[in-house]
Amino acid sequence: MAQKPVLVVEDDPIIAGVICRSLAAWGHPSLHALTGREALALEREGAVGAIILDRMLPDIGGIEILSQWRASGCNIPVLMLSALGSVQDRVEGLKAGADDYLTKPFDDAELEARLAAICRRNLRKGDDLAVGRLRLDNAAHRAFLGDAGIDLNRKQFSMLAYLMRHADRVVTRAMLLENVWGYAFDPATNIVESNLSRLRGRLQALGCDAVETLRGEGYVLRSAKCGA
Amino acid sequence: MRGLTFLAQPRIGRLAGQFGLAFALAMAGAGALLYWQARAQIDDEVETSLRREQARILVPGAPQDTAAIARRLNALTGGRVISDKGHMLFAADGRAIWGRIEMAPPPPGFADVSFRDGRPDWREGHALTARLPDGARLVIIEHSEAVENIHAMLPRTALILVIISVVVGGGAAWLFSALIAQRLARTMAAADALARGDLSRRIPDAGLDGVFAQQVAGLNRMIERMADMVHSQRQFASHLAHDLRTPLTRLRALLQADREHTDAAGRQLLERAERECRSIIAIFDALLRLSEIEAGRHPTAMAPLPLAPIIEDVAETMEPVIADAGSRLELGALFPATIRGDVGLVHQLLVNLLDNVALHTPAQTCATIGLSQTGTEAVITIADNGPGIAEAQRDRVMQPFERGTASNRPGSGLGLAIADAIMRFHDGSLELADNGPGLAVRLRFPLLRAGMATF
Repeated sequence: MAQKPVLVVEDDPIIAGVICRSLAAWGHPSLHALTGREALALEREGAVGAIILDRMLPDIGGIEILSQWRASGCNIPVLMLSALGSVQDRVEGLKAGADDYLTKPFDDAELEARLAAICRRNLRKGDDLAVGRLRLDNAAHRAFLGDAGIDLNRKQFSMLAYLMRHADRVVTRAMLLENVWGYAFDPATNIVESNLSRLRGRLQALGCDAVETLRGEGYVLRSAKCGA
Repeated sequence: MRGLTFLAQPRIGRLAGQFGLAFALAMAGAGALLYWQARAQIDDEVETSLRREQARILVPGAPQDTAAIARRLNALTGGRVISDKGHMLFAADGRAIWGRIEMAPPPPGFADVSFRDGRPDWREGHALTARLPDGARLVIIEHSEAVENIHAMLPRTALILVIISVVVGGGAAWLFSALIAQRLARTMAAADALARGDLSRRIPDAGLDGVFAQQVAGLNRMIERMADMVHSQRQFASHLAHDLRTPLTRLRALLQADREHTDAAGRQLLERAERECRSIIAIFDALLRLSEIEAGRHPTAMAPLPLAPIIEDVAETMEPVIADAGSRLELGALFPATIRGDVGLVHQLLVNLLDNVALHTPAQTCATIGLSQTGTEAVITIADNGPGIAEAQRDRVMQPFERGTASNRPGSGLGLAIADAIMRFHDGSLELADNGPGLAVRLRFPLLRAGMATF
């Protein structure tokens, strides 16, 4: 994320205050708009790096503002916030051009991780991912550290691939559920924890202990620990 | 489906038979009345003509002794066969004095008699007998030809009448019942659709009049009102959950902010408050999800869904969760069955139920998930050898916010209610059964016909 400020479009002063304070704590400057009209004006001035957009605003709805921006060719990363949490609402938000959709109430750690993920556009793509000496073989569902390899089951493989694409970034439990499992519901169970501990066990067998748990925040794959 | 079967074959039951019988009885009654009237009419005419004939013979003022009457009879008949009437004179001792008709002397007045007049067979007739002053009897007999004709026609006429009345009466009753059944079938089809949760359905009133139109209008008003009530109840639940999200967001934001300015005890308190806040949010999310599924608002892409790969996928995901709880999950036989379903909801269903195994059974429990198929159903069975649920409690635990006896366990209390709603959404059923020991959860989905499952 560059030094361009994050535009926070939120009509609730308490929630907006907390978001702006959190952004400041992470070292991001922020701009605050209370209404849709203000948001449109601030964006037109140009100097915005990312946008956190509430869906329900007193004047113009978040979806409409976003559609206007996308129609006019604006491709600033947008994270949509909403008190509407159904699958349908999420699909609507993403269809309108949001890069991610976060349902209220949310953790500040979740907000930071998702904001970081959408701002980092140059994610590693492709079949065979590599971070340091750690390498994934897509066809064989195997992970290699140098020449040593292990088999992974489908879930372990997808989790490792997602962590490697977001290497050195925090990945939250909800992000893994959405992207590895494709679950739109909160399973209220230890799915991520249990499966991740299996994955970590497999990686340790390979001599690589690169996945770190950040309590209350999520997980990070440290590229420095992937064998230089 | 039931409605359609009903429409195709209106079940009329005994109604047509009963109507046919009633119609036949009415016709028989009418026939008897007609016969009785015709008979009375004929008898009346015969008696009038007999009386006239008697007056011709017993002329007032003329001598009325046997010999005089015999003479008069001779003069009147003149040896010719006159009319269809016969004449007889009997002496006081019953001996025939005049006439060639073979018969027993009848009592005075009108009487039905049997007689033979030269032909070999006995015939029926009506007779008028007068006692002469000298004790002899004058009998005038008329052959009851019309009555005999009626009697000859009677069995055939009665048979025709019965056949006509049974056929016409039964047919009319059948037609009438079929029309009513058809109207009822439309009502039934709508009632079935409503029972399945399609609250937009109304009973069609096209082509109806009178009491039927009134009844349909009345029922539709009732359905309208009920749909309104259900709708506002659902709206209430989901609005409540939505509207509480914003204050909850604020609450959590406030709990998270400025923690560094608080001392250790205060921080602990804040953390506990935040945990409670989190579980409130979890319950609201689950409640919202439940109302979404029940309202059918889930943006569902119902598609042919082979169940075995989904079960394998969920088992792979949940095996580490159950293992971390100290238990075991095994994959049973998976019959390749395909249903019509929503992939996301089926995932949630299986995750919820396997999560129950992890949460509500003691360590060392072994659970199995398998897939079988009956003629029309795909059946997923999740069976464990844990403590099970007592039969008396099984209905209760399916209700929202109800749990088993181990109610200190975490969770929203909506897991089974959501699973049940997902099954109903798929026109299937969730059944809790005894696994002897343990609990068996059976999920019955209507099977997609093999011909429709094209991949």
